[in-house]
Amino acid sequence: MNNITLGQYIPGDSWLHRLDPRIKLFSLVILLVGTFIIPISADLIPIITMVAIFLGMMILTASAGIPIKKVINGLRPIVFLLTFTFFIQLFFITEGELLVSFDFYLSVASIGAILILFVFYNWSKKYIKFRILYFLLIVGLIFFVQAVLPYISLYTYKLDVYDQGLLRAGFIFIRITNVIIMTSLLTFTTMTTDLNYAIESLLKPLKWIKVPVDVIAMMLSLTLRYIPTLLGETEKIMKAQASRGVDFKESKFKDKVVQIISLLIPVFVISFKRAEDLGNAMEVRGYVIGAKRTKIDQYKIGFKDIMAVFVVTLFLAIIIMMRIIG
Amino acid sequence: MGIQFKDVSYAYRGYKVNYDAIGHITLDIKPKGEFIAVVGHTGSGKSTLVQHMNALLLPTKGNVVIFGQDLPPKRHEKINYLRQKVGLVFQFPEYQLFEETILKDIMFGPKNFKSTESEAEVKAKKAAAIVGIDESLFNQSPFRISGGQMRRVAVAGILAMEPDILVLDEPTRGLDPKGRKDLMAIFQEIHDTEDKTIIMITHDMDLVAEYAKRVIVLDNGRLVFDGTKEMLFEHPQFDDFHLDLPTPLKILKTLEKEVGLVYKPHYDYASLLAYLKGVQHE
Repeated sequence: MNNITLGQYIPGDSWLHRLDPRIKLFSLVILLVGTFIIPISADLIPIITMVAIFLGMMILTASAGIPIKKVINGLRPIVFLLTFTFFIQLFFITEGELLVSFDFYLSVASIGAILILFVFYNWSKKYIKFRILYFLLIVGLIFFVQAVLPYISLYTYKLDVYDQGLLRAGFIFIRITNVIIMTSLLTFTTMTTDLNYAIESLLKPLKWIKVPVDVIAMMLSLTLRYIPTLLGETEKIMKAQASRGVDFKESKFKDKVVQIISLLIPVFVISFKRAEDLGNAMEVRGYVIGAKRTKIDQYKIGFKDIMAVFVVTLFLAIIIMMRIIG
Repeated sequence: MGIQFKDVSYAYRGYKVNYDAIGHITLDIKPKGEFIAVVGHTGSGKSTLVQHMNALLLPTKGNVVIFGQDLPPKRHEKINYLRQKVGLVFQFPEYQLFEETILKDIMFGPKNFKSTESEAEVKAKKAAAIVGIDESLFNQSPFRISGGQMRRVAVAGILAMEPDILVLDEPTRGLDPKGRKDLMAIFQEIHDTEDKTIIMITHDMDLVAEYAKRVIVLDNGRLVFDGTKEMLFEHPQFDDFHLDLPTPLKILKTLEKEVGLVYKPHYDYASLLAYLKGVQHE
């Protein structure tokens, strides 16, 4: 329950931590736009740019004093997506030079082997420490057994790997990784309260078209504030229901449905009660929706903030230039 | 049998550091006839201790033995059945209610432990009778009754599992004096009629004096006292435990100081009154 990495602040005092949150958020948006503007291609220049961005991100991470391990942990939820897109790109792009060609057999023998691998993976994964690598290894093995076990073949298919495909797959792989690293760098170095302030002030222009920005910001900050509280409550209810014989680990799938209900309804009831209590507590302390509010922290744009904006704008300009020229 | 703690420590994992919740606890709890109060400050590890008693938490060091089942730090066997033997009622148990009707909610526990529908219903009705939930309420929603009644329904949900040992984590917290008295009477009744061991966390020394036979005092995760309540309140270092005295003893101490009455410990109001009347006659 305590291993939710995305959106976890790592305390520190690096220059990235001290950067104005508004600037940080703005820079992130620019960087993301820049990363997505680079066209997917197998040409040398976009790939070099992508790798350069990746290296830049690594330098940023190091200079902010964030342990690399934390960043890699942040990639964990998208390992499946990464692998999937990589293989799709690899096999469906048929341009350029043919590198290797595989014959795969969906045969009785290979389907059996795949099933065995699948069962083995599910059974053994709890003993393995490096689960991502293990998952990739199993995926590799699944293709491997299809190539080497042609006995009693039912269906054959051919997969050709072209150099374009390989390069594009690699390109997309690095792009997704970059995007995740950028976003997690922001959340690692910015407290949720600061982040919330940044969102509020960047959304301010929307006030002109009557969007209740401050209400949205308050909702957002309360939501973020209550995630740990609700997790704690959930854990408590889980234990209480475990005392009544619900075991979320040892039970069959059929029983799991009822068990999840026994968890969901109490948590639902508690969150409503909490919301009501909080609403009352806020009103008692004079909160009025839409009234003008002051802040305890005042943010000032400094020299390094201006520099940061300059650098990311330059980055975007270069990428747009490359796009126009190339 | 019963529950044995052998040099048990438990540490919560925090950011970079681990926090010791309890340390080096050795205990022996018999399966019959005990009424134990666990007392100590907030954060002294009481809740952590009782969560070891039905294997919700596993010790980081040492060993817990529940009805003959070893629970060393790393285990792979199934332990769910132990939770039927040791019923744990959490703080504010009314939040765990979720079914459509009260009866169904009480039946939830026994059904998880492989009782058939009709068996569970019999057990549930029996448990409801013990806690005084009227039959007319059986088909109502558990969210539509009063807080005190919700707590009774939740307690019934544990009792219906027919546990051998009943563990209560601050059962009277947030109840009014009458609700508190009624609920404690229910536990006393269960203890008297079925001779079940009851373990109860509490901050209320009056409850300790009135109901408990044995008291366990925790301070900062360490076991500092384990013995009868008479031994506790007469303990020469009682002040070091930072505990309050129960009201009858407070009255007697004040009388000793103010009017020179001879101090003799009486733990409930009835015997206190009898003693005072006796003194008056002399």
